[in-house]
Amino acid sequence: MDKKNGIVIETQGLSKSYKGVEALKPLSLQVPKNSIFGFLGPNGSGKSTTIKLLLDLIHPSGGSATVFGFDTVQKSPEIRTRVGYMAQDQRFYGHMTARETLRFVAGFFYAGPKAEIEKRIDETLELVDLVGKADRPVQGFSGGERQRLGIAQAQVNYPDLLILDEPAAALDPQGRHDVLMIMERLRKHSTIFFSTHILDDVQKVSDTVAILNHGELVALAPIEELLVGSGNVVYLFTTIGDGDGIQTLLSDMSWVTDINRSGVNGRTQWQVIVDDEDAAEAQLLRSVQSGSEVTVTEFGRKKFELEEIFLEIIKESNHGNK
Amino acid sequence: MATNSTFVIVKEQGWRMGFANLLRNENLELWRSHRWIKQAGLWLLAVNGFVVINLFVLPAIILPDENVSSMMDPVSEGIRALFQIGTTALAIGTITMTQGKVIGERETGITAWILSKPVSRPAYFLAKIVAHSLEIIAIMVGIQSVVAYGLISLANGEAFPLLPFLIGVGGMILHTFFYLALTLMLGVLVKTRSQVLGIAMGLFFGGMLLPNLINQLGLVTPWLLPNILPVLALQMQIPFVTAYLPILMTAIWSMVFIIVALWKLPRLEF
Repeated sequence: MDKKNGIVIETQGLSKSYKGVEALKPLSLQVPKNSIFGFLGPNGSGKSTTIKLLLDLIHPSGGSATVFGFDTVQKSPEIRTRVGYMAQDQRFYGHMTARETLRFVAGFFYAGPKAEIEKRIDETLELVDLVGKADRPVQGFSGGERQRLGIAQAQVNYPDLLILDEPAAALDPQGRHDVLMIMERLRKHSTIFFSTHILDDVQKVSDTVAILNHGELVALAPIEELLVGSGNVVYLFTTIGDGDGIQTLLSDMSWVTDINRSGVNGRTQWQVIVDDEDAAEAQLLRSVQSGSEVTVTEFGRKKFELEEIFLEIIKESNHGNK
Repeated sequence: MATNSTFVIVKEQGWRMGFANLLRNENLELWRSHRWIKQAGLWLLAVNGFVVINLFVLPAIILPDENVSSMMDPVSEGIRALFQIGTTALAIGTITMTQGKVIGERETGITAWILSKPVSRPAYFLAKIVAHSLEIIAIMVGIQSVVAYGLISLANGEAFPLLPFLIGVGGMILHTFFYLALTLMLGVLVKTRSQVLGIAMGLFFGGMLLPNLINQLGLVTPWLLPNILPVLALQMQIPFVTAYLPILMTAIWSMVFIIVALWKLPRLEF
């Protein structure tokens, strides 16, 4: 790993074009150690392209990337000794069993001792709940089982970096939950870089999210920051008592752009949109509380669902591209 | 890595990264299953079947006619069957069996999966060449040659001269290796299985005709080897250049195919 700054992946203007068509526009990002980095975007947005560039399966048209501080083009096999990768479309030798597949993959990393390798294979099979099918040929596996085997083979070598391309795409809700749990467990030892179009998964486990659209990075932020929303900031609070005074008070504030209120069971719920975050942070709660005739029972900044944020960002990006 | 201190780490570097594991896997696929027994049986039937027919069956059928009998030496015909028909059959068999070895894995995504591990691209290709060369030497040519040598010696009434026979066997291995290298290289160069098969078979069958139109082509290609090898094994008179230049050129072409594949592979995208 790059010891200077704890960055595992760093891209600088990394791009890829096919016959003049930009599959990935210059991309610059950093993935910190032990983070779960969600790489989000619609189909065809450039997620898999980025992953393949990091693994040197395809060659960049411009820019550069480093993994553990090593150039991905010059030092790719060395980088891959510390990486586990699961492709979007899992393909294995059909005649091999799950155990043989893991043994084959482990053989790229470990020369022995045999007993330890077998122990590790057993642990891995257990982790992905494939013990019962360990000795069956992979060609008879369902999509979900292949997906599990994909995760197993990606982490059999205790990778420092786990790259997962759509790890939960072919799974049922229980399977998806299990995969996310596995990712949570693995984060203790590994940095996880995963692509997905399932927003719920990203919201559940990611620390940082990057959103790609049409090959362009349109958002990059810690998940908490992203969920707060972009542009106008929205505050939600609930009061008991006559709120007319508050309405008047807020209307006079220059940084308040919109006020909505609704009453339920003697409580008033407020949604206040502001365009000056700093002013709102400093004054809004104090101003509301200063109205002696009301009691504030709840106060906070609105947290958006990732889906709302995602759709908004994609919409803006699509609009900007037109 | 986090918890791997108990393991002996693979220490291959450079182009050898992943080679040993890939070779082990290719060999396992062949030897662990009973595929090699089936293959050996098939080739025994295909190659030595013709040898037996020429050594024992045809002479028995046409023996009463003295004129024909005088023209047919069973041992010579057995040698021709082995090195002419056998070499031709092995080339077709090699193309058919290995046409999907590289392109098939490229098409299904297995190559991308393997290359996402600590594997150098040359190692990926060389493991296939080495594994299938062993297959050719051991099963396709080796076993057949031993059996054929026994049969020919039996028909000969004494041991057939070993050295010229081995020269023929060497030529047969080289001829088969040429089509192996060609087919695997095409798997790297082109994009579909049908292209691999079409070009390889086209070159093979074209090679049967072209030397008749341009004589010199026979000297710089393997196309006349099925005719030359029986002559060498039978120690018949043949100009040195006519006999050995095609063998040398076949070896050179095979190396060129490997070099081209090794040059192209790092430029491919998966």
